[in-house]
Amino acid sequence: MKNHPRPILWRRLSQLLFLAVFLVLFLRTDYQGQDQLSGAVNLIFRIDPLVALAACLATRSFILLVLPAGFLLLSCLLLGRWFCGWACPMGTLLDASRTLTGSKAVTLPPTLPRIRYALLLLILVGALFGLPLVGYFDPFAILVRGLTMAIYPAAGMAIESLFTFTYQHGPAWLNLLTEPLYQLLRDTVLPFEQKLFTLALPAMLMLLALFVLEIFQRRCFCRTLCPLGALLGLAGRFAPWRIANRQPACHACGQCSTLCRTGAIDLQSQVNTERCILCLDCLSRCPNEHFAFGHGAKPPVPLAEGLSRRAFVGTTLTGITLPFMLAVRPFKRHPQPGLIRPPGALPEEQFLGRCVRCGECMQVCIGNALHPALTEAGVEGLFTPRLIPRIGYCEYQCTLCGQVCPTGAIQRLPAAAKQLTTIGRAFVDRDRCLPYAKGVPCIVCEELCPTPQKAIRFREVSVQNELGETVRVKQPYVIDELCIGCGICENKCPLPGRSAILVTSAGESRLQKAIAKDSYSKP
Amino acid sequence: MDRRRFLQDAAFWSLSWSLALHWPFSSTMSGSVAQAAPGNLFLAQVGMGKGQDYPQLVRQVVALVGGMTCFVKPGARVVIKPNIGFDRPPEMAATTHPLVVRTLAEMALEAGASQVRIFDRPCNEARRCYHNSGILPAIKAMDNSKVRCDYIDRRKFVTTTIPQGRVLKSWDIYRDALEADCYINVPVAKQHSRAGLSLGLKNGMGVLGGNRGQWHRQLEQNLADLATILRPTLTVIDATRMLLRNGPQGGNLRDVQINDTILASSDPVAADACATLLFGRSPDEIGTTVTAASMGLGTMQLNRIKRIAVP
Repeated sequence: MKNHPRPILWRRLSQLLFLAVFLVLFLRTDYQGQDQLSGAVNLIFRIDPLVALAACLATRSFILLVLPAGFLLLSCLLLGRWFCGWACPMGTLLDASRTLTGSKAVTLPPTLPRIRYALLLLILVGALFGLPLVGYFDPFAILVRGLTMAIYPAAGMAIESLFTFTYQHGPAWLNLLTEPLYQLLRDTVLPFEQKLFTLALPAMLMLLALFVLEIFQRRCFCRTLCPLGALLGLAGRFAPWRIANRQPACHACGQCSTLCRTGAIDLQSQVNTERCILCLDCLSRCPNEHFAFGHGAKPPVPLAEGLSRRAFVGTTLTGITLPFMLAVRPFKRHPQPGLIRPPGALPEEQFLGRCVRCGECMQVCIGNALHPALTEAGVEGLFTPRLIPRIGYCEYQCTLCGQVCPTGAIQRLPAAAKQLTTIGRAFVDRDRCLPYAKGVPCIVCEELCPTPQKAIRFREVSVQNELGETVRVKQPYVIDELCIGCGICENKCPLPGRSAILVTSAGESRLQKAIAKDSYSKP
Repeated sequence: MDRRRFLQDAAFWSLSWSLALHWPFSSTMSGSVAQAAPGNLFLAQVGMGKGQDYPQLVRQVVALVGGMTCFVKPGARVVIKPNIGFDRPPEMAATTHPLVVRTLAEMALEAGASQVRIFDRPCNEARRCYHNSGILPAIKAMDNSKVRCDYIDRRKFVTTTIPQGRVLKSWDIYRDALEADCYINVPVAKQHSRAGLSLGLKNGMGVLGGNRGQWHRQLEQNLADLATILRPTLTVIDATRMLLRNGPQGGNLRDVQINDTILASSDPVAADACATLLFGRSPDEIGTTVTAASMGLGTMQLNRIKRIAVP
């Protein structure tokens, strides 16, 4: 087999470049000393046509934020699935993991790749009727989520533990070497604060699953499941420029067919443009150099793996009916008090439709306040952002989550508007609060309340403490009209365990559906 | 010295000293007016001055209490501990003015400091506080490798026993502060509903690790106990802008009073006591000052404090 590595080299270079850009953007998805972020990883979602389509369908409107996705789709109309082979960071990582996962080359049923079309259809129909699914299958969402919630914090933890050990137990000469290195890492790649995430393990397992699939087949996820790849493949069906076998007299030795990492070459050595990701392996490896990239000489091969009519109708019906099943649960009408959405979040219905579950808001959240929801917003709300004040609070002057949201599920708010956006309200638990329950002075909550007029104030009263002495204490109370629910009070309450001042989503300022119990009133 | 001589001397000095302290003939008038009393009766000096050129003002005021060379010996490791507690711009008076911090760093270098470390453990997110208080940009602009304004490094908290502590027996304290040869405390003067006022003693909380909120239960005693092991060499109180209401973070310019005043003293309690007067309050209203004075950490009696104003 001849080897002409040059085209492959170019492809690898491009993959590395895009991966590097992706990782740099990911690291930059953090506070950079200014209120406005410049360049964050949301770029990758804004060029994602699947996310764009789903978000637009869900809100039945055109979202300007995702306009760049149109350009990617356009390029695929001309070139086919070039993005999957040359740019997609998920694909690059899967390719790179090849040396680790080994090559089992299990023969999977040839009809399996149809699943991706079913998924694509389900996602789009579901989006239109109120079943948000795109975030669970979009490769970028899976990747960014896994990185944000598990891999990046865990890697940071590992590195920090190492340098903590050398700092606290190492000899002085060792610290002369390690401390500058640690400082360098801190300034470049390490997270500023060690973050924690409620769903670190599920997010990691989901990402890991993609690599496990790689054991069975090369690019197994890309060829069988990836709905984004399916969409790009559909766009590239009639691409004028593509890879094709230009020799009618090919004796079909079949080498290319086993070589192809997406199974795009059939036994007759013909290339299927819906699957071909232009990795150029066939160009380099065909002993007779039969494959070439160029303006299509031949008509594309007929659609071989479209959905059957039965599957099409079945999938569509599922996408239409399932949302109504989801709609008849009580919390759709009575919002969950524990579900505090980030400031600028759209009304719940639209929020669920637009949110990609990518976790970028959680990556950028400066106080580690946003966490992936498990079932607090229903099963369809898995991985959506939710503020847990006891873990982290919403920083008063910070507007980063709205800046990185790729689809505008969290609106970009100016600081002044954000400071007037109520995401919930605090209330004092007088059974635990020290000045009430024990006659002991405290009012940490009042001190830290960031609203200029203080949403938490206090009354100075004489009470008896546990020793029976009459003491003067300041007892805090909340002014509802001023409280915006940032949660710093709950976060910093010095009591161990449960806070004595708690925030619930009650009173949040985003529009809600009617929540009156009779369900007749309009919002 | 024989026994007789010793007893005579002891009797003489204790008599004269107690007379000096409780001089029956000196006026007992109280109030904010500096009292004319013989110099040897003073237990502390506080320099203070007013002016709009803050760097110059800092230099003048520190010169009044002896100048930086009194506090910083050549080769000393200096810690400057401003208040960077909140994510507020300097004009909101929640944090120490960056020019004050920067001038002190310059003065420490001029006095021969081998290194100057500036830090605080903020209540809000550290990066936002360091940037928006203007302190990090001001120190970066100095571009001097001896001066560093670093974020708190969690690894550097050392569990420290406090032998003289009455309620505080041990706590995690920042290593840089403990190891400093010269510890310059630079609080901003502001209202604080738990402590009454947040001044020098309260500013000590920025070197603490752990759950600092627990301190509020016995704030006064905790702060005094802390001051037994971490006594500032020099306290410079920034009252250039004073937050009068809704402290300690404010957020509204209406609550801020421009005062253009700076105080300095080697006595942390005296510095706090004099700064209290700027708010029109009396030092014995402020629990932290009273408790620290009762522990013998400094002087709060105004007639024992020599107040020197910038001419």
